[in-house]
Amino acid sequence: MSLEPNFTPDSGDWACARCGAPLEQIKVQALYMHSAFAVILPRCPSCGLTLIPQSLAEGKMAEVEALLEDK
Amino acid sequence: MLEQSQLHVIEARCTQEAAPRCRTACPLDMDVRSFLECLAAGKLRDARKLLERHLPLPGVMCAVCDHPCENACLRRDLGGSLAVSALEKFCMKAVPVQTKPLVRPPKGQKLAVLGAGLAGLTAAFDISHKGFAVTVYHEGEKEDALLAAFPVLEKSALDEELRALEKFHVRFVPAALDESLLVQCAGEYGAVFVDASTCSFAPGEEELDGVTLLWKDNICCGGWEKSTPTGARYASSSAQAGEGRKAGITLQRILTGVSLVAAREGEIRQDRLHTPLEGIAPCARILPASGDAYTEEEARKEADRCIRCSCMQCVKECPFLQKYKEFPRVYARKLYNNASVVRGTRTANVIMNGCALCGQCEVICPEHFSMADLCLQARQDAVERDVMPVSAHEFALEDMAQASGQESAFLVEDPALAAEGGHGARMFFPGCQLAASRGEQVLAMYRYLREALPGGVSLYSSCCGIPAYWAGREALFNEHAATLRNAWEECGRPEILAACSSCMSALKKALPEATVTSLWEKLDDIMPGPFSSTTPESMNVQDPCGARHDEAWQKAVRSLAAKAGIQVKEAKRSGNESACCGYGGLVWNAQPDVADSMAKKRADEFSLPVLTSCIMCQDRFARETQSLHLFDILPQTARAGADLAQSSPGLSARRAGRVALKEKALEEFLGQKSAQAQQSALLLRIPDDVQQAMERRYILRQDAEEAVRGIEGTGAKFINRENGHVLGSWRPRNVTFWVEYTADDDGGFTLVNAWCHRMVVAGAIQPAEKVVMEERVHA
Repeated sequence: MSLEPNFTPDSGDWACARCGAPLEQIKVQALYMHSAFAVILPRCPSCGLTLIPQSLAEGKMAEVEALLEDK
Repeated sequence: MLEQSQLHVIEARCTQEAAPRCRTACPLDMDVRSFLECLAAGKLRDARKLLERHLPLPGVMCAVCDHPCENACLRRDLGGSLAVSALEKFCMKAVPVQTKPLVRPPKGQKLAVLGAGLAGLTAAFDISHKGFAVTVYHEGEKEDALLAAFPVLEKSALDEELRALEKFHVRFVPAALDESLLVQCAGEYGAVFVDASTCSFAPGEEELDGVTLLWKDNICCGGWEKSTPTGARYASSSAQAGEGRKAGITLQRILTGVSLVAAREGEIRQDRLHTPLEGIAPCARILPASGDAYTEEEARKEADRCIRCSCMQCVKECPFLQKYKEFPRVYARKLYNNASVVRGTRTANVIMNGCALCGQCEVICPEHFSMADLCLQARQDAVERDVMPVSAHEFALEDMAQASGQESAFLVEDPALAAEGGHGARMFFPGCQLAASRGEQVLAMYRYLREALPGGVSLYSSCCGIPAYWAGREALFNEHAATLRNAWEECGRPEILAACSSCMSALKKALPEATVTSLWEKLDDIMPGPFSSTTPESMNVQDPCGARHDEAWQKAVRSLAAKAGIQVKEAKRSGNESACCGYGGLVWNAQPDVADSMAKKRADEFSLPVLTSCIMCQDRFARETQSLHLFDILPQTARAGADLAQSSPGLSARRAGRVALKEKALEEFLGQKSAQAQQSALLLRIPDDVQQAMERRYILRQDAEEAVRGIEGTGAKFINRENGHVLGSWRPRNVTFWVEYTADDDGGFTLVNAWCHRMVVAGAIQPAEKVVMEERVHA
């Protein structure tokens, strides 16, 4: 089971409040129950703060969580 | 884990897969129900296929069958048994042959059949279709015996079947059927069948073993005439064919050297299927207008009268059992297979966690099949082997921790006695949910109990531990039981007055030597006369599933209702058959959709406002219908809870309610000011719609406040340059909370949205470097 690779913010023009930098789509690791997935998410290129859109959290991520919990 | 033998015992209790009465009545195991279903659906070819699959010599059998299925039919007293025999005749006529069995080259072993009666030909049919060559010895013409026994049989139909038999290596040899022929055949053939209807030397039926019909050595016998109670002798076609078939199995086993008796339980005809007949309207038998044979239209109508016998009594009542579209026998098997999975997906996890453990099915089931036992055992097993889905019960267990933790739990010894080191004779245990949503009423009841009961009363507010038990976490339950025991012993082992039926059952498990009485029984004792109450005139009563078998509880509730002037009208399935509101078994946490269906289904069964004695029942029904808790009608508590009955406090409010109760109780009875560490107040405005969405996602107000406080503290947040919204995340435990909010001019914040997930993404929470692979909290 793999996540769709690229998720952008659901809406809005988001920037890192601390660094002031606009977010970039950067590959990061998502981990759950001894499984890891590569996923491209909006991230601050400077400090690494990463945004998880609601649609991802309640959609694909919830699905994968349930699948892994049933493994 | 369940042993396979235990599974079989459990499975056997569910009769849904057992054969209907028509089929068990048929010695040939004809699947009459499916046949009728095909006919009713107009699938005539499929119907004929079924006849050909189950019946030997179908053309002959359908013509001469004495249809014992019709005597067994449950429609018999509801308009008349299905006309199965006439429908079979119709089907044979309406549709040509559908199956063409493969003729195999004959095997080495041969069978001799003495006598071409129905039993002999059935044995020849069955054995020849297994690939053995068969020689049938007969006197006169080969058709004679059958035509003599069954005059209604048309010669052409018989000839056709006999010709078909010959293709399957069946030879017909005329011979005198006597004992010398038998001796000769027993030596020359691998096995011999003697048709008792044609061989005078055959033994009586009673001399043979009924399971195998073995006479001696390699010889079986069957095809006897039967006699009526008045002594008249007749040939029962189905019985004779059945004997031929049964002996055929033995003969085949003789030919192949297999045990004659092993694994033949399936041949025993037993009515096990329970079919409820309530609500089935009578419907008269359709008779052929022409007088002798059905038209297709008539046949379909007649077949459609079939009740389609099936049990499903528990499934009809339970949204959980309905959800996965199966019945307990299948669920048992799935749960067993699920537990056997070493690597791979556990598809039945959802099944074990969807049960409310309410026990209704066990009461309704004629065989008392208990899904609760099965699901609870599966949960305990999953917890023990560390394969329980983490999220299923996590929120409920956190709630239990909050209810029994420092923040909410408290123990107040009766102030009048405590000063001198004395203990109350009783202990009021309101339970974590009354404490959460009805704090004022709990205090009012406690004040009353102290006044009304001699010997003093202490107040212990905590969780009873039932969530741990329901979640299958026995270790946690035992640990909690030890805490309860300490408190109980500290208070001088008082009688416990429980206001919640789940608490009663948990306390009885945790403290088996304690006297645990329901608050309602006690109140019923100390409030002998009627009392005034502003309540609906007549009400339904919901018996909570935890008090399903507690008649004293049920009686006390009705008695108190009567004293309040309420006329109780019993709803469908009350008492021990009561249905769960969806709170039981933590199904509200694991599968809220199932829990909601349960609440809705049960609420729909009430025609009047409903009176509950369990606060969770009250709460869950309040969303569907007018529901009152006993606290809402009792004079001691009704006023303290004005307007509470129709509001359903959310999850955040419940936790806050417990904290508030503790503060008030400690202040009132111990004179203590709140010792809770006061955090600097954070003003977080949460609009109603956002609050409701949070409830559905199990996000508490406290979580959101903590998240905003944390995010503002670290400064790790995003800003939306279009509208100035702030977004940040916080992971206090196994869940990451995201909060989108605005900073208000007055220093407060307004929440715009909140969501959560369990997966860990590096950098998505702060401090990022501390993110480690999570461990299961409750493992």
